[in-house]
Amino acid sequence: MIGIEECLSEAMSIPGAVGAVLVDHTSGMPVAAEGVPDPVRAADGLGDVFRAVLDGIALASPEQAARVEDVIVTTDAGYHLIRPVETVVDGPLLLCLRLDGDRANLALARLRLRAVPGERAAR
Amino acid sequence: MAAPTIDALLTDLAEGGATGALRVGKEGTLFLDRGRVSYAECAVTPGVEDLLAASGRIAAGGIRGARQTAGPGGGGDLLVRRGVLSRGELQFCVLGATLDAAFFLLRPSSARPRFKDGEAHWLGSHWFFTVSGLFRECARRRARLERAWPSPALDALPVVPVRRPPGARVVLTSLQWELLVAADAQATPADLARRLGRPMYGVLLAVRELAAAGLLASPDEPADGESPDPPAGSAAPATPAGASGASGASETVALARRTPGATKAQRDRAGQANQADRPAGSTRQGAGPGALPSVTGDASDVELLIRLRDALEALR
Repeated sequence: MIGIEECLSEAMSIPGAVGAVLVDHTSGMPVAAEGVPDPVRAADGLGDVFRAVLDGIALASPEQAARVEDVIVTTDAGYHLIRPVETVVDGPLLLCLRLDGDRANLALARLRLRAVPGERAAR
Repeated sequence: MAAPTIDALLTDLAEGGATGALRVGKEGTLFLDRGRVSYAECAVTPGVEDLLAASGRIAAGGIRGARQTAGPGGGGDLLVRRGVLSRGELQFCVLGATLDAAFFLLRPSSARPRFKDGEAHWLGSHWFFTVSGLFRECARRRARLERAWPSPALDALPVVPVRRPPGARVVLTSLQWELLVAADAQATPADLARRLGRPMYGVLLAVRELAAAGLLASPDEPADGESPDPPAGSAAPATPAGASGASGASETVALARRTPGATKAQRDRAGQANQADRPAGSTRQGAGPGALPSVTGDASDVELLIRLRDALEALR
């Protein structure tokens, strides 16, 4: 995994990206943010969204241990992507990206976001 | 003259752009780099060294070696150069450990903080918190803990899962699973954090969430103090799990008396938990029908039954 600030600028270089925040999922703290008006509350809310998705998926799937690769939210203005990155120590770091619907290519953005942390973070 | 609080002292040091180490008695140390907090360590939270060792990335000996080779302030860079972990992982590790330690250090303490100018942590500076940002984050974490389960009653007690969950299905986070698997009715959240190499705050939060879900036995028993303790001779061997279970349970009972201000929800929970879920040694209803120890084919159980039979025969 490249440095945390580099992760952020890498995410923001994805075509159509208009905002990004890295969230420590355990505590809901914004670790780094760009293009997000209120990172503290955004991080808290996005962390809750991800937690709710995990709970819902676990209850709704026959295999309760399904691994969530990313969460895609489609809005009238574009997309939000939430991608968990496993870390050495604590619960995951969430890479949250807001994309402009007119300029972004969702499939490309997902691939690019997956590549952001670099090869070591997948452990 | 009253000693300055750690908050006031830290704010002053930040304003002065200080670099050095602020020691808070034996509780821990905050490291400052030009007025910002670059690292914190605390006696009750695992440090970066512990987290790395627990993650299996590097052995404890390897960390000591790196520390000696690198000298003050260069340890983190050395670990990254050696490929133990990447730059981002180191930053996240330092950030997590610092927040974890600060959460427990930045609260009222009897220890007088002492600042040592120029002292740096061996890992060096890899992430920075403004002092105000650190206070804000600690307050937020505290609020989050309160939201999960508003009572600190279980924070320092051994983690005792209930035998039967309150519902037919239970959803756990991976950390909660680890905690339940590691819980032996003796280890407190702090013990488990150390054993698992997980940040203390995360463990505490998981424990409170488990409590809120009704998955932990509460130490507060409604019948507190009503029935006399069973005679010493018959109580000692009463747990199938052996002596360790008994001592853990008695510790729970002893500590429970110190926290009488339990909420109603907790008492209800305790009532449920007590019916079947407590370890046998902790039931205090004496010879009541619900107080019989659960029995397995274990040799110690057979021994117990023989002793019980002998005792009953002696009564005739």
